[in-house]
Amino acid sequence: MHRFVLRAVSLLSCAVLLVLTACNRGGDSTDRPVVALVVKTLNNQFFIDMEAGARAAADSLGFDLLVQAPEREVDVERQMQIVENLIQRRVRVLVLVPNGSRELVPAVLKANAAGIPLLTVDTRLDAATVQAAGAQVVSFIGSDNVDGGRIAGEFLAQQLQGSGAIAVLEGIPGHETGDARLRGFRESIADAPGIRVVASQTANWERDQAFNVTQNILQAHPDITAIFACNDVMALGAIEAIAAAGREGSIQVVGFDAQDDARAAIAAGRMAATIAQNPREMGRLAMLTAARVLAGEVIPAEQPVAISLVPER
Amino acid sequence: MIRSSPNVDAPVPPLWHRLLRSREAGTGVGLLVLCLGLWIATPFFATVDNLLNVAEQSTIVGTLAIGMTFVILTGGIDLSVGSVVALAGVVLALVLRGGHGVPLAMLAAFAAGISAGAINGALVAFGRLPAFIATLGMMSVARGVALVLADGRPISGFPDALRALSTTRVGGVPVSVLIMLALFALAHFVLHYTMLGRSTYAIGGNEEASRLAGIPVARTKVIIYAIAGASAAATAVLLLARLNSAQPIAGIGYELDAIAAVVIGGTSLLGGAGSVTGTLIGALIMSVLRNGLNLLGVSSYVQQIAIGVVIVVAVLVDMALHKRSQTLTV
Repeated sequence: MHRFVLRAVSLLSCAVLLVLTACNRGGDSTDRPVVALVVKTLNNQFFIDMEAGARAAADSLGFDLLVQAPEREVDVERQMQIVENLIQRRVRVLVLVPNGSRELVPAVLKANAAGIPLLTVDTRLDAATVQAAGAQVVSFIGSDNVDGGRIAGEFLAQQLQGSGAIAVLEGIPGHETGDARLRGFRESIADAPGIRVVASQTANWERDQAFNVTQNILQAHPDITAIFACNDVMALGAIEAIAAAGREGSIQVVGFDAQDDARAAIAAGRMAATIAQNPREMGRLAMLTAARVLAGEVIPAEQPVAISLVPER
Repeated sequence: MIRSSPNVDAPVPPLWHRLLRSREAGTGVGLLVLCLGLWIATPFFATVDNLLNVAEQSTIVGTLAIGMTFVILTGGIDLSVGSVVALAGVVLALVLRGGHGVPLAMLAAFAAGISAGAINGALVAFGRLPAFIATLGMMSVARGVALVLADGRPISGFPDALRALSTTRVGGVPVSVLIMLALFALAHFVLHYTMLGRSTYAIGGNEEASRLAGIPVARTKVIIYAIAGASAAATAVLLLARLNSAQPIAGIGYELDAIAAVVIGGTSLLGGAGSVTGTLIGALIMSVLRNGLNLLGVSSYVQQIAIGVVIVVAVLVDMALHKRSQTLTV
């Protein structure tokens, strides 16, 4: 009996390996340059859109694009492993959306040492850490999140006519993206002294956590009239919690990223607004930049991607 | 752990036969097959650089899995180790930031890890809580304490002495790999040549019989869980050196990776049978697999399927190889 199991297992593993080999041959038989895009997670529409934008551009540029992400967004060490492995794979250009603004700097150093040009997209690495380590990033492609946060704050201040209690759902603490959005939001809210932030808690970018955190905030602060979530995923969790509490319509929710789900929620009147970044454009621009890097062109250190309020005012 | 042969009068089988019958054989062969397959599938796998890279990547899960092996050998489980990694890391970072040296900071990190582990052990041994429950509680408590201490934020900016743990190489081999191997050797020695090791296997084999035989079961368990805490602290040191940052949200899900490495390595979740050698091979299998899937450019979604399949297949093979001995000992 156990011989049978062993044989079956061996055959199965051989089959799996053969299939993998076959898949791989498909990619390696051509001489197309291999470019890698490492995102934070593939459990978020934002990065799936970014992948779609990058893939379309990579196809027309004649790149083989590898897209990888850690299973868990919080797993910084795993993202570092992916970068290390892709360095071993000798990809021609590495495009990284870092999971940690400081933590990924050692990985960038390794790419530098291997002579692989590295671009960052959407999330900046911490400038001081990069400088102290002597790491080289060719270019940053992304939106100014501080601006986005400011736009969200101005919108809410206007909607609430300058007064009211609001709550904030923060991203993973220490993530540059979330911190910047929060900074911009707080700056613009400070201009409206009648508006009080009564609760500001992290939901770690996640929908289910946002649901729970919002439920708790609603218990503690029944008087809130608006919620700013640092991404749409959390905003969507928040509107579900508001609906579950039977408070739909009395609390305005503003998200960030303008994902399809969020746009649909806005159209249905369940969400007030979101901030549109353009992940597809980021992916596209990253690939175009990769092509320019390979062509030996000089690349600007910052390449902004437009940011705007949805719905447009 | 003495495996009785089915026919006692038979002559001693040749060495290769005994090796093949050993607990680690199935996993070792699995690792070799995996490496062979990757060697054929991609030119990027079998390079010295990449193999060292894989070894370095296995240090985190590998080190964490050492303590987990002890716990699982006693028939227990420790779900808190991922959180304890975060806690020990934050403590290490705070002491460093307080201007103290690396030795004192490490001492503090190990004190934190060992305390958390010892509390787990006491809850299991004296509080009579199931290990699953006690360590589930600690998983949450340690994470919370880490978040409170760090105020929810990552802490970075450490002296070069710490960073050196991940940047230094001895004879081309990363020093973190050497540290992990030394810890495995130490664990192997403890398990096979000390009273504590024998008690560990005995408790996992039959706790009641161990008690009747005069083994201090409760005290041993406290020590075992403290070892798991210590290996979490060691993991925290390596992780900090690698990322140059201590995150209170680090190590989420690491307990499952560590358990997977132990189980792939052939240690029985029922306790009493297994080895750290197997665990080392198990940790390597996971790292090699992830590395290989990255090199092949396999989609992140498919990678998760592959890892799940490997865990189940590894245990199936192990069971098939040891069917006879298991039916005899259970």
